[in-house]
Amino acid sequence: MNARPKSRPLITWLILSAITLAYLALDRSVDNHGTYRASSVVTTIAILLALVKARYIFREFMQVRNAPALLRRLTDLWVLLIGAALLGSYFTGLAIH
Amino acid sequence: MTDIAQAGPQPGAAGRPPGESAERPARAVPGQPDMWVLVLFEALVFTAYLAVYLFHRSAHSELFLRSQADLSPWLGTLDTLLLLTSSLFMLRCVQASRAGAFRAAMSQAFITALLGTAFLASKITEWALLVHGGHGFTSNEFFTYYFFLTGIHLLHLLIGFITIGVIICQLRRRERRSQEIVETCATYWHTVDLLWVLIFSLLYVVR
Amino acid sequence: MSTTAAGPATPPGPPAGSRLGRVAWHWRNNPKRELWFAWYTTVIFYNIFFIVFFPVTHAQPPPHPYWSDAQVAYWFNHNHDGLLIGLAIIFAIAGMTVAQNALIAYSMRRMSVSRAFGYSYIVMYSLSAVPGLLLLCVVLSVGAMRPGRDPAQVHWLYDFAFLSYIGTMGIFLLGSLIWMLAILLDKNRVLPKWFGYLNLCNALTEVVVAPAWIFHQGVLDWNGLISWWVNMVVFGVYTGAFIMLLRTMIQREDFGDGPLPDLRKDDRAKASALAGTPR
Repeated sequence: MNARPKSRPLITWLILSAITLAYLALDRSVDNHGTYRASSVVTTIAILLALVKARYIFREFMQVRNAPALLRRLTDLWVLLIGAALLGSYFTGLAIH
Repeated sequence: MTDIAQAGPQPGAAGRPPGESAERPARAVPGQPDMWVLVLFEALVFTAYLAVYLFHRSAHSELFLRSQADLSPWLGTLDTLLLLTSSLFMLRCVQASRAGAFRAAMSQAFITALLGTAFLASKITEWALLVHGGHGFTSNEFFTYYFFLTGIHLLHLLIGFITIGVIICQLRRRERRSQEIVETCATYWHTVDLLWVLIFSLLYVVR
Repeated sequence: MSTTAAGPATPPGPPAGSRLGRVAWHWRNNPKRELWFAWYTTVIFYNIFFIVFFPVTHAQPPPHPYWSDAQVAYWFNHNHDGLLIGLAIIFAIAGMTVAQNALIAYSMRRMSVSRAFGYSYIVMYSLSAVPGLLLLCVVLSVGAMRPGRDPAQVHWLYDFAFLSYIGTMGIFLLGSLIWMLAILLDKNRVLPKWFGYLNLCNALTEVVVAPAWIFHQGVLDWNGLISWWVNMVVFGVYTGAFIMLLRTMIQREDFGDGPLPDLRKDDRAKASALAGTPR
């Protein structure tokens, strides 16, 4: 993204808001008129999109983009850790129950 | 609290060329590096809570889905948009402060607080509606998780109001104003947003 | 004048020789001996505490709140010796907690903030030891003392013990906030700001424990996955951090009023003092 510095925050906000609204479409694709149905696909996509948002918040809103390499790598590692923990616990739960 | 210790050029320093962007030219940790310990630690703790929730969700899939249907995805989406917008204004506040535009920065800080208050009002309304509809903290397992996660998040939000207050106090000072403190508090506020993004997707969106 | 002592002049250093000889020298001459005594007391206390509460009495992790009278009675009988012996040890050493509170209050005294912080902390934590530790020990001892007691009565004691121990976290919450505030306001760099923020994390875990009063099972009951297990990890990290940081604080201490010097110089001085070589 090589946008002018002034519009970067706004573009970030637009992307994050779009993903948030996309959630509604995601759920609608699997729900049946108010009756919710389980779906690993929806759950996985929801978690992955949440991780994308989290990384955007780190990079753009929290300005990690301009931070030293250590913090950039640490926050990326954190996004991976969170993703691994959430997806891991979800699929482990599915496998066991 | 009056130390201005940071790498890179001082913000709002005399002699800044006109038209220079508010972007930090040198690589620097935004705010105190110490605050990042809190950010990363709390992110892990919340991840632990959410992992426990996800693990138990699959044990009672029907119950969780049925209860989840009583949540309003519109309110949840509104909440998320409110916090995302508040983060936008918080970033604008930090950039304005860095460029020396303290009046503008104060307005941005107030708007951030306003959006945070709107989130608070929305959350309390949602809780009231749920309780009125017969769903409380002890109603069933899903709602225990729901009220616990949104409750502990709300606590973080309330602490966030304190940090905004600190930012406003800093911006009002003429002397010994600390850009580092402003950025440190901003980092905390963004964490509130970050945590909500995770909670929202797991309580409202996953199936 | 050496950087390790601003007080009365001390002999140049411990004599080279046996470890015991050097310890004896420090006991007589080291101006920081009371601080080190308090620190070692804290470390020893936590070790004994862990051993007593976990493998000896099996009071931690807490047994389940949803057990029946018969199951609770069985737990008391099964752990009869462990409970009575282990808790007797705790009664004997409970006074050691004073050293930790004093050291933490000392850290606040050394800071540039008001002395009220340190004093409040001491008062709060002294009082909190009653419901937060001693009550559990007394009640569990009572429960274990007479194996033939009516199971319903024993169950009452069981609930009383664990709820008092786990449910009285409010005081610890306030104590953490006091320490946090002192650290964040401090200009003497006694403790790092990140530990101030970690106090906030610890304080929030006390809130997470509160639902233990409401739930008899699940992740929020008194031995729940969230209320106890995740909380214990946070508490463990927090405790490990402050034990390490208090050690560093003592090493850096110069008995002045200004900012504490960094560790490097003092560390070298200490190392050479221990070795008995002149600086």
